[in-house]
Amino acid sequence: MSVKAFELVPAVGRELLMGDKALVNIECIECCGKHLYVGTNDCFIYHFILEESTSTKGKVTYSSQKLLHKHLGLKKPVSELRAVSALERLIVLCDSTVLVVDMANLEPVTSGVARIKGVLAFCVNENPVNGDPFCVEIGIISAKRRTVQIYLVYEDRVQMAKEVSTPEQPCAISLDGYFLCLALSTQYIILNYSTGASQDLFPYDSQEKKPIVKRIGREEFLLAAPGGLGMFATAEGISQRAPVSWSESVIAAAVCFPYVVALDQGFITVHSMLDQQLKQTLSFRDGIILQDFEGKVALTSTKAVYMLVPLPLEKQIQDLLAGRRVEEALVLTEGARSNIPKEKFQVMHRRILQQAGFILFGQLQFSEAKEHFRRGQLDVRELISLYPLLLPAGSSFTRSHPPLHDFADLNHLAQGDQGKVQCCKRFLISYLREVRSSDGSNGWRQDVDTALLKLYAEANHESLLDLLASDNACLLPDSAPWLEKHCKYFALGLLYHYNGQDDAALQVWVRIVDGELQDSTRSDLYEYIVDFLSFCPNLAVVWKYADWALNRSTKVGVQIFTRRPVEEEQLGKMNPDDVVKYLQKYSQALVLYLEHLVLEKRVQKERFHTQLATLYLDRVLSLLAASPPPVEEVTEARRRLQLLLRESSLYRVQCLLDKMGEAELLQERATLHGKLEEHKEALHILVRRLKDASAAEGYCVWASASRGSAYRQRLFHLLLGLYLEPGSAGDVQAVLAVDLLNRHADAFDAVAVLQVLPEGWSLQLLRPFLSRALRETMHGRRTAQLALGLARSENLLLHHDRLKYQGGPIFVSEKKGCHLCHNTFSEPDCVCLPGGVAVHTHCAAQRARDSPSKRHCANPSSHT
Amino acid sequence: MKVKYTIDRATSSPVRLKRRRSRSTMPDYAKMKKPDVKLVILGDMNVGKTSLLHRYMERKFKDTISTVGGAFFLKQWGRYNISIWDTAGREQFHGLGSMYCRGASAILLTYDVTSWQSLAELEDRFLSLTDTASDDCIFAVVGNKADLTDAMAVEQEGEQEESCPASVCPTPPASPSAHKQVHREDAMALYRRILRYKMLDERTSLPAESMCFETSAKTGYNVDQLFETLFDLVLPSIMKKRDDEKISTVDLEQSADVAKAKSHCCS
Repeated sequence: MSVKAFELVPAVGRELLMGDKALVNIECIECCGKHLYVGTNDCFIYHFILEESTSTKGKVTYSSQKLLHKHLGLKKPVSELRAVSALERLIVLCDSTVLVVDMANLEPVTSGVARIKGVLAFCVNENPVNGDPFCVEIGIISAKRRTVQIYLVYEDRVQMAKEVSTPEQPCAISLDGYFLCLALSTQYIILNYSTGASQDLFPYDSQEKKPIVKRIGREEFLLAAPGGLGMFATAEGISQRAPVSWSESVIAAAVCFPYVVALDQGFITVHSMLDQQLKQTLSFRDGIILQDFEGKVALTSTKAVYMLVPLPLEKQIQDLLAGRRVEEALVLTEGARSNIPKEKFQVMHRRILQQAGFILFGQLQFSEAKEHFRRGQLDVRELISLYPLLLPAGSSFTRSHPPLHDFADLNHLAQGDQGKVQCCKRFLISYLREVRSSDGSNGWRQDVDTALLKLYAEANHESLLDLLASDNACLLPDSAPWLEKHCKYFALGLLYHYNGQDDAALQVWVRIVDGELQDSTRSDLYEYIVDFLSFCPNLAVVWKYADWALNRSTKVGVQIFTRRPVEEEQLGKMNPDDVVKYLQKYSQALVLYLEHLVLEKRVQKERFHTQLATLYLDRVLSLLAASPPPVEEVTEARRRLQLLLRESSLYRVQCLLDKMGEAELLQERATLHGKLEEHKEALHILVRRLKDASAAEGYCVWASASRGSAYRQRLFHLLLGLYLEPGSAGDVQAVLAVDLLNRHADAFDAVAVLQVLPEGWSLQLLRPFLSRALRETMHGRRTAQLALGLARSENLLLHHDRLKYQGGPIFVSEKKGCHLCHNTFSEPDCVCLPGGVAVHTHCAAQRARDSPSKRHCANPSSHT
Repeated sequence: MKVKYTIDRATSSPVRLKRRRSRSTMPDYAKMKKPDVKLVILGDMNVGKTSLLHRYMERKFKDTISTVGGAFFLKQWGRYNISIWDTAGREQFHGLGSMYCRGASAILLTYDVTSWQSLAELEDRFLSLTDTASDDCIFAVVGNKADLTDAMAVEQEGEQEESCPASVCPTPPASPSAHKQVHREDAMALYRRILRYKMLDERTSLPAESMCFETSAKTGYNVDQLFETLFDLVLPSIMKKRDDEKISTVDLEQSADVAKAKSHCCS
């Protein structure tokens, strides 16, 4: 009940009315604009002007000035007064008679019939169905038993429009449209005076207490029900609002949206129509009248008039919020939607939602708070600013004034309860994430992102890295110290990197790897750094940290260079020569890098190939120098060397041969000779020294791989010659020679072979070779014959075509005309156009001149 | 409801207001969400009407004080707004009952399973209040406080507790203690008598088996089923009401035109 909805302000004191006449009491009042009329039991009407003034503190006071008072000339009290400003008339009920008097001078209207007799009570229809602006419809309870009459009151006359009878004697009346709401002696009813249809509402006992029938809006009435209830009823007889609970002794009720005000013997009670709750109670003794007039509520004791001044809605709402009554405040705000201009309402509504959000936030009701913040379009920084140190030092934000809440900061809110603080922080994280993903952070992304970064760092939240790795607006000067404070060095590096300070980023990371800083975010940080460097566009930084990386692990470190994206190399950003030069210190890395260049990237540069081959050779030589040489390693090293020697043709052969010296690297040596086209030496080495027939055959195939078959034949013949060369262990070589011939029959010139083969060899031995050679020759011959035949036939065909196109003879005579000028031929010279058309030579020449595209092809094809 | 709204619009043109009114009108009260359909809970005092509604709306059981007059809640059910009226059981407010029931689409007649009298009261006192309900109104007979007599309703408590830890329950009785005075058969017999009172054919009406419920607001037993069954059953009547409104809206727009024309003449 902490709402202060109304203030009771005295309006007219007794000194202006009856003075000290004890027996004179107020009977009725009417308020119309600034005019206040008071009717008394000694048949006077007083007319006051009521001036409202508001003090600087917002306090409303009234000063009244009596304009007139007039005795109606009867001896009865003035029971009711109603002003009709459009007609400038006052309708007065006195001594069971309705009179119409002038509003200004209170003189009765004398012209016409302006008087209704036998009236117990009357009411004005504020929502009349007839559209006549120059009359007022009133409903009266007639002294005639069980009758209600409808009158039209004009400026100077009254006229009865309708009379309806009621089942019981009515005792209170209200009118809206066609609907009469009546209190009968035992029940309330709604009566449609147009159709006569009646609708029972509910029973009550008029003997027990005075009924209240109060129109509160279109087709809706407020009725005093048994048990001190205020019941709402529509013209259809339905209750659309829950009843309000008054006391049993309620005397009068009035409505001042959104409140229902009721008067009983000791109090004024204020209920909200929105939630039916009792909102305010004011003590008021001896009240007799309570009425609302155009949004004002007036009440009287027997001697004085007071006004109930509604406090501004915003004040009421703020009071509710101050009392932490969020729900009621919002209901009240939204209830006022239709009574306030839209723009103003939206501003107010937003602010109240924000305040409500903060109240709920303070109560740790986060989901509700979030909803209010969202609907209230809260500047998210208002919320961030509650958390100490989260807003960047340079943020221009200041909290809105007047403040949206009364928390100094989070610690004040949580009163030192760390659990609460943590809850609030978790909430802020989730809220800021939502804000980021919507467009709620427009204009202050830096503040939002920086705050989020700080929260993540503090809470050791896994999303910290995601935040830094994605598009963000974290402020470096503010975030960096914070990350350091929370030992988030890896994240700090990311932050530097995001801000283009790769050097600083690497510095931090290197210190982590070296154990100077403790941050276990990434166990593979070293590899990460290498990877980072391999993509780093800033070469100075790369060079700066390459030493560190290579010293740690050459194998991994060299990836800085080997993993560089290709495009960059093409731009010449990182020159391989520089890298090679730089890597001289790190032989292993150099090998890896050269392998990368030569074998993977296939860089066709002699330098690299030679250098790699030399390095391979050095390795082999150094391994062989050991005693005993490690077999497996030697094999592997030689395999690589051999492969390179074979595959590459760019290295400097002679240089390698020299370097090889006397080492027993026969295979390699043979390959090198092969590269020099010294096939004889090569084969000699393979056959005589290495005694590896298959290697020799392989050599022949390899060495002739990209050459023609003649070259290949030459190599095989060389090899065969070596086998057949006397002076060595005869038999074995003969077998090798036979095998060679039989296996590679097609690589030999059979005739030449037969000439060199020793006489004594059996035919059987060479059968596979011979049969294949024979077949080959036969095949060659037949293929050649076929080709010859085909060529001949093609030639014939072409010959035929030629003859055909040469065509038959063309006849020119004096009777024939030229196809171009249509004149006859006078001499035998003519030009024959394609298709055998004869034309004059000059015509053909003319035509050729005229057609620009064919200027040059006007040569006569034939002459006759 | 829409009918009325249309009238409001038609009559509130500012031109007319100025000329016709001797005093300005009341402020236009905030239009609350207009309910599409009305449910009313009737029954003797202390049978647990407010608790039932509270259990359904707030998902918990709490001590309530005797309802003064009545209260209502708005429940969003799909696209529709259903107003649920909780009435006062006290004799004092009995007269208001028929007004609450006016135009109702469903009425819950509630009794206490441990009190034969509460069932009898339904027939003696409350049945006549339903005369004002809409013609196609459906009736449900609800026996509350089943947890006092029925082991099954007590067990439910455990399940409910998990889903709504906020429920305030003093130590539940180890076993149903109170004597069950009203059995489901009695309630079903009452339901059939209601149909006869309404002069409805039992064969074409909803069967007693599905319209008699035993519930416990305290444990939540059967409460959701009760309300949701009724919501589903009143949906057709909402549709019908909306259709009716469509027809009448057309009429009113015509009359609104007439009114406009009239105001023209006066100017």
